[in-house]
Amino acid sequence: MNATMDLKAKLGVDVFKPGSSAHINIRQGREKDPRLQKMVMICPAGLYSVNEQGETSLTVDGCLECGTCRLLCGNDVLAWAYPEGGTGVQFRCG
Amino acid sequence: MEKFDVIIVGAGLAGLGAAYTLAVQGLEILVLERGDYPGAKNVTGGRIYVNPVRDLFPDLWAEAPLERFIVQEGAVLMAKERSVAIAYAGEELRQEPHQSYSLLRARFDRWFAEQVEARGAMILPKIQVENVIKEQGKIIGVWAGGDELHADVVIACDGVLSLLGEQAGLHPPESSHNYALGIKEVISLEGEKINDRFQLQGNEGAARLFIGEVTQGMFGGGFLYTNKESLSLGIVIGIEDMMARGGKPAAPDFLEAFKARPEIACLIRGGTTVEYAAHLIPEGGFKALHPLHGAGILVAGDAAGFALNMGFTVRGMEYALASGYYAAKTVLKAREAGSFAAAALSEYGRLLQESFVLKDFQNFQATPSFVNNPRFFSHYPELTGNLLRDIYRVPAGPKERLYPTLRKYLGLGEMWSMFKNLREVTKI
Repeated sequence: MNATMDLKAKLGVDVFKPGSSAHINIRQGREKDPRLQKMVMICPAGLYSVNEQGETSLTVDGCLECGTCRLLCGNDVLAWAYPEGGTGVQFRCG
Repeated sequence: MEKFDVIIVGAGLAGLGAAYTLAVQGLEILVLERGDYPGAKNVTGGRIYVNPVRDLFPDLWAEAPLERFIVQEGAVLMAKERSVAIAYAGEELRQEPHQSYSLLRARFDRWFAEQVEARGAMILPKIQVENVIKEQGKIIGVWAGGDELHADVVIACDGVLSLLGEQAGLHPPESSHNYALGIKEVISLEGEKINDRFQLQGNEGAARLFIGEVTQGMFGGGFLYTNKESLSLGIVIGIEDMMARGGKPAAPDFLEAFKARPEIACLIRGGTTVEYAAHLIPEGGFKALHPLHGAGILVAGDAAGFALNMGFTVRGMEYALASGYYAAKTVLKAREAGSFAAAALSEYGRLLQESFVLKDFQNFQATPSFVNNPRFFSHYPELTGNLLRDIYRVPAGPKERLYPTLRKYLGLGEMWSMFKNLREVTKI
C-alpha cells in the first residue's frame, strides 16, 4: 500500500453513513458555470465531473464536507447544506 | 418547545471548551453536534500548543488522550529535485510541561466530551442545526432536527464555514479569499518504527512543515506529525490559488506527489492509510475575523476565524479552546447583569482582547500577507536548493570559487528583492 493509492481506495477506508437525500445540489441552469467545472480538479474527494456538453454533475457519496465548493462556487451555483445529523463522513482519527 | 440557559452549536474544541466551563456553574447547557459522536466531523493537522490554555483548563491535561509531545521541529524548503531542511531540537522541548502535542481530533474530542458530560452538560449528537431563531433582532434559539429550541444565548461553534453566523446576519457568506484547503492522510505505522525513523524515544514526537514544490508555487505547504502509532501527513493549498491556476494536477494528486517524494516515501514506507480527510482552514488572520457577537449570540473557534499561520508555527486549537472559555465567562457575566443584549455580550471581545487570543491576532496581523508571498512557494526553495547543490558539489575537475558561485544566485536584483521581502518582517 502507499505506492500510489487511488482516490477511491482512500475514500474506501473512511466511514460514511448514507443520508436520505443529496446535501449539495447544482442549481438548475448553472451546470455549465466555469466555477463548477474547476471543481473537477479541486474537490479533494473527486466528486465532480464534466460531460461532453460541458455540464458539470456531482455525486455526494464520499463527500468529506470540507466546504471548498461552497466557497468557490457560491450560493447562486450550489444549494449547499451539511448532510443531515448522524449521516455523512464520520472521522475516527480526525 | 424546550428552553435552555445556553445552546452550544458544535462539539469541537470551542464548543466543548465553553460547555466544560459553563457546566460546573449548574446551568442547563445543551451541546448540539451533527456528527455521530463529538469529533466525528473534526479534523486537525495536527498539533496543539498547550501553554496558552493550560491554566484555563487545569484539570484537563493529565489524562487527555494526546499523542506525542513534540521534541523535534523541522522546516523543509522543498525544490523540484532537492530539499533543504532546518531542524530544531532542544532540551527545553523535552522538559515538562511539554509545550505541544500531536493529536487526533476524533479521539481527543470524544474523550473531552465525556469530561463535559461528567460535569453535567447535555451533548446531543446526530443533530443538525438548520437555522437560528431570530426575534426582534435577537437570537433566541435554533431550529435543530425539526425542533424549536430556545436559550438565553447561543454560542456558535459550528466550524470554519460559520453558517450560523451567516444566518444570524453577523457576516455575509464566506468568500474564498481567506481560506486554504487541507488534505490529510492518517497512516498507521508501529510506534517503534516511528521512533527509529524519526530518531525519537518513548513518547517523543516530531513535527515537520514543508514549503515549495509541495504546492507547485501556490500558497500552502505540507505537514507531517508523528502520532503514537500513526503519522498525520498532509498538504494545505490556498483555494483561490487553486481556482486561478485550474487544470491538472487535481488537488488529491498533490498529496500523492508529496507522498512519493524520496524525503517522505522512506518515512511512510510500509504504513497503511487508515483515514483520508479534508478540511478548510481560515488563513486571513486578524483582518478576516468575524464579528464575535450579536444580540443573544457569541461566535467561537474556527467559526470566528480563530486560526493563525505564523510561518513556523500554525495554530488554531488553542484559540478555539480559549475562545470557548471566554465565551462561557461572558455568558456568566451576562447572567449576573440579567441581559444578553449585544451590549452585554460585547464583554466577550474585551475578554479576548485582554487574553493571548486577540493579542496574538493583533501582533501577527501582518503575517497573512507576509506568508502569502509567491516567492516563498517556488523561488526561494529552488534558489536555496541550487545554492546548496553547488556548494556541496565536487566536480571531476577543479571546483569553482565560492564567491562567484554565490554571486550566480545572489545578484544585485535578487539581493534587492530579498531585502524588500525581509523588510516586511519588521511589521510582524
